[in-house]
Amino acid sequence: MTNTLKISKNTRETWAYGFFGILVFLFMWQLACLYTNFGKIFPTPVYSLRAFLEAFIKPIGKYTLLGHIAISLKRVLIGYALSSVSGILIGLAMGHSKMIHAIIYPIFSIIRPIPGIAWIPLAILWIGIGEPTIYFIIFMGGFSQMVMNTMDGAQHVSKELIGVAKVLGARENQIFRKIVLPYCVPYIFTGLQTSLSTSWMAVLAAEMITAREGAGWLILAGMQTGRIENNVIGMISIGGVGLILASLLRDSERRLCRWSVRSR
Amino acid sequence: MKEKTKYIFISIASLLTFILIWQLVSTTGIISARKLPDPVKLFETFLYKLTNKNPDGNVLGVHIWMSLKEALIGFFFGIVIGVPLGISMAWFDKFDKFFRPLFDLIKPIPPVGWVPIMITFFGIGIMSKVSVIFIAAFIPAVINSYSGIKQTKDVHKWVARTFGASNGQVLFTVAIPSAAPMIFTGARVALNGSWVSLVAAELIASTKGLGYMIQTARLVGRIDVVFVGVLVIGLFGAAMMEGLSFLERKFVKGGRRK
Repeated sequence: MTNTLKISKNTRETWAYGFFGILVFLFMWQLACLYTNFGKIFPTPVYSLRAFLEAFIKPIGKYTLLGHIAISLKRVLIGYALSSVSGILIGLAMGHSKMIHAIIYPIFSIIRPIPGIAWIPLAILWIGIGEPTIYFIIFMGGFSQMVMNTMDGAQHVSKELIGVAKVLGARENQIFRKIVLPYCVPYIFTGLQTSLSTSWMAVLAAEMITAREGAGWLILAGMQTGRIENNVIGMISIGGVGLILASLLRDSERRLCRWSVRSR
Repeated sequence: MKEKTKYIFISIASLLTFILIWQLVSTTGIISARKLPDPVKLFETFLYKLTNKNPDGNVLGVHIWMSLKEALIGFFFGIVIGVPLGISMAWFDKFDKFFRPLFDLIKPIPPVGWVPIMITFFGIGIMSKVSVIFIAAFIPAVINSYSGIKQTKDVHKWVARTFGASNGQVLFTVAIPSAAPMIFTGARVALNGSWVSLVAAELIASTKGLGYMIQTARLVGRIDVVFVGVLVIGLFGAAMMEGLSFLERKFVKGGRRK
């Protein structure tokens, strides 16, 4: 964009302002803890930082911080992989064939507006408490977004391209493989992005309600045992991991679909 | 036109078959009614829940009202504070540099993660839920209005300046109207996020609301009430989205295709 030049000139200023902003924030946090009632329930930034570093070696509950994060990550990746694969397949089918769309869409539109998290009580009653329940919840969290985005892509494939392919004598499955599928890739990536963040949110909620380990449990247990610093570390690490996952995905999108306008 | 009616017929037929199979599967006992209550039973439960306080102490209407109130208050404040903040971050350079890193810090934290902290602060009343929903709505509101303003075409701004518009006039008559579709997209994401985090917050700790209703129903094993609650949650989520789309069509000129 046109701003690129300006930004490189102002990098130092940007850093200075940003640093200053965060410093003001930390300072106010510290002051609020020292001089108001806020400090009675909330740890100071210095204390939180120490607790954060300690959590890498000292276990909280059953595992150390890294252990909890690893467990949550494993759950997210399994649920997310399942929902992405099935979401893409169903989305492609619904977008490509009007018949399948007419059959599945009405049923799908009943479950679509239900948030993944709202399935938690049902999932517990159906499957009981345990890993499969958590996978199911994450699955439901990402599934409908995956379907919607993929379907959107498959429905917007340009008619001209398909027409040209038909004139040149392409078979139905060639059209699907060479035109429809590549055309959907950017849409699929948009779906993958949004569904990743909802999956990450769903695992937290699921862990808060049904699990005894994982980052969500860490946060909730922090509240229940009155150790708010655990709460703070949990949030920081969740935010960090979420950020890393999202930027990994964005990076792979940039590599895989250079042609698309959607990848900035 | 004829093809369209054919597909509508297929859709209706498919929906009816689905409900019929569901009904058969649970009445014949292939899947026990304890796991999957049949549609007729669900409808009865829905009617029953409209007037009866069992098993969670409030009729359905009270839960719906409570959830809607919390979600809409949080959403409202998220938009009212988030949109101007996003706009001013995009318009004023210094403002952006100051707030950006802070905002980037809280942005990736899922709203659900705030639930325990807010409960510690405000207890399990309405305030803790409203503040979680506020965060859920605030973040997309800021992001989208920010990028909406940033995407204003330079040419449009130059034209306005050439005709002698002041900085403020450029902002209010060029940048904000052209960012409106983007801001509404933000509102849509925000509303969706509000509803999701409302349900999560109510599941974790509350004394009223749809999330509380399904959680209590689960604890006492009333799967029919859970089902009704989940469907009602979906229904109201969809209805609010429709309402927002209606507003968008009314207020935004140009904008989204379709």
